[in-house]
Amino acid sequence: MTASQVMDPHPSVLHKDELIHKGLELIMDHRYRNIPVVDDNGCFEGIFGVNCLLRLVLPKALFVERGLKTVPFIKHTLRDLKIRLKEVEDMPVTYCMNQDIEVVTPDTPLVETLLILYRTRNSIPVVDPKNGNLVGMISYWDVGSKILEQNI
Amino acid sequence: MQHTTISEIIFGWDPVWFAGILFLLTYLMIVTEKINRAIVALLSAGLMILGGVLSQEAAMRGVDFNTLGLLTGMMVIVAVTRRTGVFQFLAVWSAKKVNADPWGILVMLSLITAVLSALLDNVTTVLLVVPVTLLIAEELNIKPYPFLFAEIFASNIGGAATLIGDPPNIMIGSAANLSFTDFLFNLAPIVLIILLVMFIPFYFLWGRSLTATEYNRQKIMNYNECQSITDIVLLKKSLFVLTLVLTGFTVAHHLHLQPASIAMLGAALLLLLDNLNRRSDNQSRSVHASFAEVEWVTIFFFLGLFIIVHGVESTGLLKTSAEYILKLTDGDMTITSMTILWGSAIASALVDNIPFVAATIPLIKSMAPTFGGTEALMPLWWSLALGACLGGNGSLIGTCANIIVAGFAERSGNPISFVRFMLGAFPLMLASIAISSVYIYLRYL
Repeated sequence: MTASQVMDPHPSVLHKDELIHKGLELIMDHRYRNIPVVDDNGCFEGIFGVNCLLRLVLPKALFVERGLKTVPFIKHTLRDLKIRLKEVEDMPVTYCMNQDIEVVTPDTPLVETLLILYRTRNSIPVVDPKNGNLVGMISYWDVGSKILEQNI
Repeated sequence: MQHTTISEIIFGWDPVWFAGILFLLTYLMIVTEKINRAIVALLSAGLMILGGVLSQEAAMRGVDFNTLGLLTGMMVIVAVTRRTGVFQFLAVWSAKKVNADPWGILVMLSLITAVLSALLDNVTTVLLVVPVTLLIAEELNIKPYPFLFAEIFASNIGGAATLIGDPPNIMIGSAANLSFTDFLFNLAPIVLIILLVMFIPFYFLWGRSLTATEYNRQKIMNYNECQSITDIVLLKKSLFVLTLVLTGFTVAHHLHLQPASIAMLGAALLLLLDNLNRRSDNQSRSVHASFAEVEWVTIFFFLGLFIIVHGVESTGLLKTSAEYILKLTDGDMTITSMTILWGSAIASALVDNIPFVAATIPLIKSMAPTFGGTEALMPLWWSLALGACLGGNGSLIGTCANIIVAGFAERSGNPISFVRFMLGAFPLMLASIAISSVYIYLRYL
């Protein structure tokens, strides 16, 4: 059994030119954790997700490698966070999408796929290795329902 | 460092040429930064032994374990102390003290950087101060460049004030048997003057143009610095140990103790206090985490470098170079001092100051007979310390601290241009060396 048999072949996607506020609407309306971002040819570009929302409302300086580990002294209000979000919401989703994502191919064996899913703790994109096209997404729910529906 | 008998050289190479070329190649590799400098130093040290210039025993004798011990001990102490949040507290507190005025923040953060650099070391200091600086600059919606530029200067200037402030001083203090108080009494006064003078060009460069909106300033004023302190008990223990260690540095010389012993003992005491009430498995994790914070790349770089320089020294090459310099300066102390001060400043601006100082120390030592003994060398040691530490300000690759600040700037999306930095920094560095020249001349010559 392979990744292609547990993936959702028709996931919601964002085009790379779509704006951040559109991506956020989609995330909030459907309670998605992650949405894949593709180009004109359906080629996988990255992931836009709830983490992006958090990244957009927090100071960028907090994400600098080897930087601040804790910031209990910052006293921002929800209004401050909204102001920061407002400054970037009309930028394309590529501005903050995550490209450092582990992907699987349709032929990745099932157990290897589940191990990657377990390690990443996030939905994983299934990408065609020949052309880089997104062919599906695998979430915990897809895998869970496929396992539970087995009759033994 | 004592001279060693040259053992057999493989392939019949002349040891002077072999060691000299290996040293130059090492230097070149370090400067170009194509390969990690610790790898370069260890590889060259290995070749120095393999090539027969040094035996393993002779190589170990060349390693200055006082410098390594002092650096490692202080790094462990800082690793434990930083977990308390005290360094964030200082930065936020200072920003609020000046009502979040951008120029005031630049001055305060620079002063804190200078003081911490003098008491810890400048690499550690920028690791602690720069992340908070980036946050404050972002909150104020100001490009962080002026703050980072000022902090680079403050870290190198402040680091010049004490024995433990900057790696070159640690190496000089260890090699010349100079105490913490020797550095403090001889270098701190001029360091303070240079630091204050530097604020004048900083003000004309940026002071008048640094502005922030009331809303952004209020964001800083809303910070609660007291909540930075995440572990008040550990803070008390850390401050207790830091006080003991600093006191220890000041009296170590009279007790015939080396600074490394003080720093290592302090590190062990703080680790003990930090782990007293932990279960053994938690202790293991905690101690492992503290040791992991030590900059092992720097430590192994030093280790390799000491062996390489000892190898070159054992061939007599450095003695010959010293004789050549003395011939050029006619054995005149004033000319030799100024040559070392300006030469080390310019060299330290262009290349990492650590290998330069490592090579210059034995060179100065071998000048002792010309000037009438080791006591007479003091102006040369202070010239080297000021030149190497302040010279590091001349370019973005002058010191490890500069490189670390540049790395932070780049990762935060505000890269510092090498040329832009040098155009501003090099003249200011020369100005600081000019002030140092007057000081050295008036006080020692």
